[in-house]
Amino acid sequence: MRLTFIAAALMLATVPARADVGALLDRHILPGLAAFADATGALADDAAADCRAPALRPGLDAAFDAWLPVGDLRIEPSETGALSIAFWPDPRGFTQRTLARLVAEEDPVAGDPTAFAEYATDNYTCRLAATIAADLRRQAAALATAWTDGFAATLRSAGAPGNATYLSGDEALRAVYTQVLGGLEFTADQRLGRPMGTFDRPRPALAEARRSGRSLRHVILAAQAGHDMALALAGHDLPVTTAAMGRVRDAAGRISDPAFADIADPAARLRVEVLQQAVDGLHTAIAAELGTPMGIAPGFNAQDGD
Amino acid sequence: MTTRRGFIASLLAAGAAPRLGWAAAGNPSYLAAARDTGGQHALYGLDRAGGLRFRVPLPARGHAGAGHPQLAEAVAFARRPGRFALVIDCATGIVRHKLTPPPGRHFNGHGVFAQDGALLLTAEQASADSAGIIGLWDVAAGYVRAGEWATGGVGPHDIRLMPGGAALAVANGGIATDPEDRTKLNIATMRPNLAYLDLAGRAQEIVELDTDLHRNSIRHLAVRGDGLVGFAMQWEGEPGAAPPLLGLHRRGAAPVLAEAPLADEIAMQGYAGSIAFAGAGDDIAITSPRGGRLHRFDATGAFRGAVSRSDICGLAPLGDGYLASDGLGGLLAIGPDGARPLARHGCAWDNHIVAL
Repeated sequence: MRLTFIAAALMLATVPARADVGALLDRHILPGLAAFADATGALADDAAADCRAPALRPGLDAAFDAWLPVGDLRIEPSETGALSIAFWPDPRGFTQRTLARLVAEEDPVAGDPTAFAEYATDNYTCRLAATIAADLRRQAAALATAWTDGFAATLRSAGAPGNATYLSGDEALRAVYTQVLGGLEFTADQRLGRPMGTFDRPRPALAEARRSGRSLRHVILAAQAGHDMALALAGHDLPVTTAAMGRVRDAAGRISDPAFADIADPAARLRVEVLQQAVDGLHTAIAAELGTPMGIAPGFNAQDGD
Repeated sequence: MTTRRGFIASLLAAGAAPRLGWAAAGNPSYLAAARDTGGQHALYGLDRAGGLRFRVPLPARGHAGAGHPQLAEAVAFARRPGRFALVIDCATGIVRHKLTPPPGRHFNGHGVFAQDGALLLTAEQASADSAGIIGLWDVAAGYVRAGEWATGGVGPHDIRLMPGGAALAVANGGIATDPEDRTKLNIATMRPNLAYLDLAGRAQEIVELDTDLHRNSIRHLAVRGDGLVGFAMQWEGEPGAAPPLLGLHRRGAAPVLAEAPLADEIAMQGYAGSIAFAGAGDDIAITSPRGGRLHRFDATGAFRGAVSRSDICGLAPLGDGYLASDGLGGLLAIGPDGARPLARHGCAWDNHIVAL
C-alpha cells in the first residue's frame, strides 16, 4: 500500500500539471526575439559607424548570443524567417556563392581572405557588411513582429473556431514541444555531427560559425535553449533534464578548441563525441520527463515516407 | 473490433450479398484510410463538409485506394511492398475480394478503375528487379487477373487515367527496392520518368527530367480535365538541396518545373506526399507531411503561397479549392484566402484522399 502511494506520488511529480504554451511564449520565445532584435539593432548601428571587422566583432558576438535561444525554432514565421538569418548548414554553398558574386562584381578583394579581413572603410566589402547588418536588423524586427502580432495569437487560440493551424490545445503543445526536441537533434546531428564527419574523414571546415570561433559556444547555447524551453513549457522543475544539461556543460568544458579545428586528433574527437552523447542525453531526458507524460509521439505521415 | 479471422469470415460471406451503388454507402465524396486512436486501421467515406459517411475496418495500414465509378466498391491497397489489396463493399463493410499479385509481383500502393469500371489497373513492380508493371483485373469476372503491361520505368507508384479514359499516366518513381522491405537499392543510378500508356499497354510518351534531377523521384500525379498533368516528387539526393518538388506536363511539350522561393522550398524538406488540382482547376497544390506545409502554385507553375499544418498529407479537390487531411485527424478546407478547419476526427488520416 505504502509502495503504491509512493509510486503514485512519483508519477504525479513527473506529469506536468498543465504544460503551458503561453508561458513558453511569454517567458522565452517573445522576450528572446525582442532581445535578438535589439542586438541586431546595435550591430547595425556599430556597422554604420565603423564597418571594419574589429569594430563589428563585439556586436556580432552579442547578436549571435541573442540568436541561439530562439534560433532553432522552425515554426510558422520562423520556418522561413529563420532560414535567411541563419542559413546553415549550406551544403550547396548558397551563401558563399552569393556573397562572392556580390563582391566580385564590385571588387576583386573577395577572392583574397587576407584582404577580406583587412578591408578598408571605404570599399565595397565594408559597405556590404554594413548593408548586411542593416538587413539583419530589419529581418530580426520583422520576425519579432510576426510572432508578437500574429503567430503568438494563433498558438494561444489553439482549438478556437477558425484556427486552422491548431485544432486543439494539444496540437499547439505538441508543435512547440517538437520544436524543442528538433533543435536538440539539429545540435547533435548538424552542429556536432557535420564537423565530426567520420573517423577516417573528419570535416572541421563544416563547423558552424568556425571562422568566428563560435562553434562550441553555439552548441552550449542551443542546448541551454532546449533546456530552458522545456522548463518554461513544464511550469515546474525538471530535475532529470536539468541534470542532463549539467552533463552537456561538463562535456563542453573539456573541449579546448572552440571551433573543433583539432577534431582529426582522436583524443579531441572523443571529447566531441562525449558532448554529442550529452546533447542526445538531454533530448532523451526531455522526451521522458516532459513528452512521455503528455503522450506525444512522432507524426503519422511524416514518418511513413511514400 | 475486427480480427483477421473476422476478415476471412467476411470474405466467405461475400458471394451472397447484392452489389449496391454509392447511395447505399451514404453518398460519400471521398475515400480516405486512417488509423483510429485505438490502433485499428479503417477505410472511411467522407462528405464535402468533413463528415464521416461510412467506416469499414482494414486488417493493416492502407496507402491509397480506388473507388468504383458506379458500385459502392473500393479497393484498398496495402503499403509497399503490398502483398494484398481488398475490394470492399462500402455499403455493407463486406470484403468482396482479396486481390493477391501473381508470384514475383507486388502492389505499389495505387490503382485506378478504367473502362467505366470494367477494369481495375494496379501499380506493381517485379519483386526481383523492380521493373514497373500495370496489373489488369477483370471486375465483372470477380476481379480476375486479366494480364499486365510494362510501365516503361522502375518502381511505379501513382497511376491516373487521362481525360477520356484512353490513356494512363504512370509515375515511374525510378527507385529499385529490396523485395522484402523498402530498402532503396539504386539511388546513385535511379532514373524516374512520367510515362503515358494507351489502354493496350503501349508506351505513347515517356518524359524524363534533366540528369541533374535524376534523384527526384516522380511519385504522385494529378490530372486536369484538359489533360494538364501535375507530378509531385521526392528528393533522394543531398539534403538541403531544395529541388523543385512539382512539375507540370502537357502531352508533347517539355515539362515545366514549379519552384517556391528558396526558404519555402527548404521548409518542404525535399518531400511532396500528395498532389491535387484545386476544384476550380486554376491552382495546383502539393503537401509535405515532413515540413508540415502545403504549397500552392498557379497552372503555369508560379508560386502562390504556403499553408502550415502539422503532418498534412492527403489532398483532393473541394469546391474551388482543396480538402486536406493530416495525421492529427484534421480535415481542412483550403482556398485562396487560407485554411478553414472542417472537422477533427479521432484518427490519423493516411497519406491520400481519393475523390469519388
